[in-house]
Amino acid sequence: MQLHNTSKKFQRYLALTALCAGMAAAMPSAHAANWLMLQGTEPADNAPRAKVWGFIQPMYSKDFSDAFAGKYVPPKLIGPSLDSQSSFNILRARIGVRGTGFPLDSHINYFLLTEFGNNAITNGGKYGSYKPYLTDASITLNYIKGARVRLGLFKYPGAEEGLQGIAAFPYIGYTSVTNQMLLERFPTNGETNIAPQTVPNADMNAFSAPVGAFRDVGAQVFDAFDVGNWEHTYAVMLGNGHGVQMSDNNSSKDLYLYWSSAYLFDKSAKGPFRPSLKMFTWYQKGKRTDAYDNTKEQDRKRYGVGVSYLKKPFRVSAEYMWGQGMIFQGQQNPQRMFNNNKAAGGYIEGGYFIPNTKFELDLRYDTYKRNKGIMKGPTPEAKFNTWTAGVNYHFNKKTRFTLDYSIRKYSSVFTPVNNQLKDVKGLLALQVTAVF
Amino acid sequence: MIQLSRITPIALLLAASLATTGLAQANEKAEPVAKVMQDKPFAQTRVALQISDGSPDKQTLILNVANNLLKFYGPDKVDIEVVAFGPGLRLLFKGNANSQRIADLAAQGVRFSACENTIKAMTKKLDHVPELNPNARIVPAGIVRMVELNKAGYFVARP
Repeated sequence: MQLHNTSKKFQRYLALTALCAGMAAAMPSAHAANWLMLQGTEPADNAPRAKVWGFIQPMYSKDFSDAFAGKYVPPKLIGPSLDSQSSFNILRARIGVRGTGFPLDSHINYFLLTEFGNNAITNGGKYGSYKPYLTDASITLNYIKGARVRLGLFKYPGAEEGLQGIAAFPYIGYTSVTNQMLLERFPTNGETNIAPQTVPNADMNAFSAPVGAFRDVGAQVFDAFDVGNWEHTYAVMLGNGHGVQMSDNNSSKDLYLYWSSAYLFDKSAKGPFRPSLKMFTWYQKGKRTDAYDNTKEQDRKRYGVGVSYLKKPFRVSAEYMWGQGMIFQGQQNPQRMFNNNKAAGGYIEGGYFIPNTKFELDLRYDTYKRNKGIMKGPTPEAKFNTWTAGVNYHFNKKTRFTLDYSIRKYSSVFTPVNNQLKDVKGLLALQVTAVF
Repeated sequence: MIQLSRITPIALLLAASLATTGLAQANEKAEPVAKVMQDKPFAQTRVALQISDGSPDKQTLILNVANNLLKFYGPDKVDIEVVAFGPGLRLLFKGNANSQRIADLAAQGVRFSACENTIKAMTKKLDHVPELNPNARIVPAGIVRMVELNKAGYFVARP
């Protein structure tokens, strides 16, 4: 009998352990901060009328991939121009202003940010030209307790990697799943994928419109609630579904849902490095008009779950995400840019802040499966697995140097696609981030 | 009946007026300097801290300074009064992000004084009386309070 009880206990323990391990494996990145509150609100009666802020990220990157039959595809070239295998760049240079316009009434705050760097927001690629862009312009009304309202152009609630303040992102590049499935591209009529090219001057950036940058124009209702040491946050948003472009190209609106519950190890701590354990889930659904046949529309659905833990010297996070519709095909093989297939992916990463030093060691594994279950045809299943090892050297709290090296294992079940993907090799990147 | 209908709006107006006055008077008047000094009979050091600046950094700084004084001298040995006027009065607004810190300092004997002249000026700008932190005590004029504290031997600092 005792043995039976012990066995049952052991089974329960096993089940619990498996659940915890499953959660840890299936979910999370980034820091355990409340990004919705940090970006959408200001401290009551403690915000300036106008606080100028921003950051600059000069970088250098080198790709070690081999050409296939003398030609290259985008994962083997340095973006956003995609015409070289090594390049210096100003990846981001953002300046903005935020605060409470009328400091005596802290019920209204605003947030403005502009992008001057050279990236997929500002670089029009083959068909366009560099142009600085307004990435955020929002107002938050804090009059209804439990239902703050944010209006304008801002980051929509979603995956941690996109929602977080990018200046606090410990890596230089996004994971494949974030880059391909979440960082939305918007083709316009006439823009098609470009066949593999020789370098130099390949220039495979096929887009003239800026990427979505995890932002949308719309209205969001949100707030955070403290229950003991727990902080629960929700957000519901309706948006155009057209990224940073301040227009709506169809009559449908995108729906964004978000929930997070964070256990705060130190309730008095604030900011992006607040020690906590956060679990979160999110959902997005919208429609996209076919750029090649504007009488057709396609659903775009994304959802995910994640967890992040931060208590120095350790940081761990993981997230798993699914998507259907508007799956970006990349350009390893010229096809239609998007399709209605399914995709899924995730990452698990961690960081260790070496005590009494300025060094932070990071390691991330990310995986992405595109066109899930499609075993033949021109848009076949493709897998992207990447290990990224990184070092951050923190000169001070606002300035750091980052060195990342990524080992990439890409493959596809379709030979012509696989031929190009299998030769994708390591990627080295160095960057300095200076926040002001 | 007619009289009642005439009286009702007047009564409502009076009630509203009282309610508004009530808001303005929700915080007690501060005691004179000579009286508050008696509350800290063992204090060997007396400091008056002025905040008349709207900067969030100044809010943090003044609370840090008060906290550091308490730590160095000990709560019984130091008498601290923070006087807020002009844009600095935002520190003593009811919902200020530093409310918990203010409560912690008040529990250790730090006094917080709010300038009535500033409250009146802000009432005009806001169209309503600003709600203040429950630990704030009203003084007729912040700058006069500073002068009185200085006359009584307080070290005056504006961090």
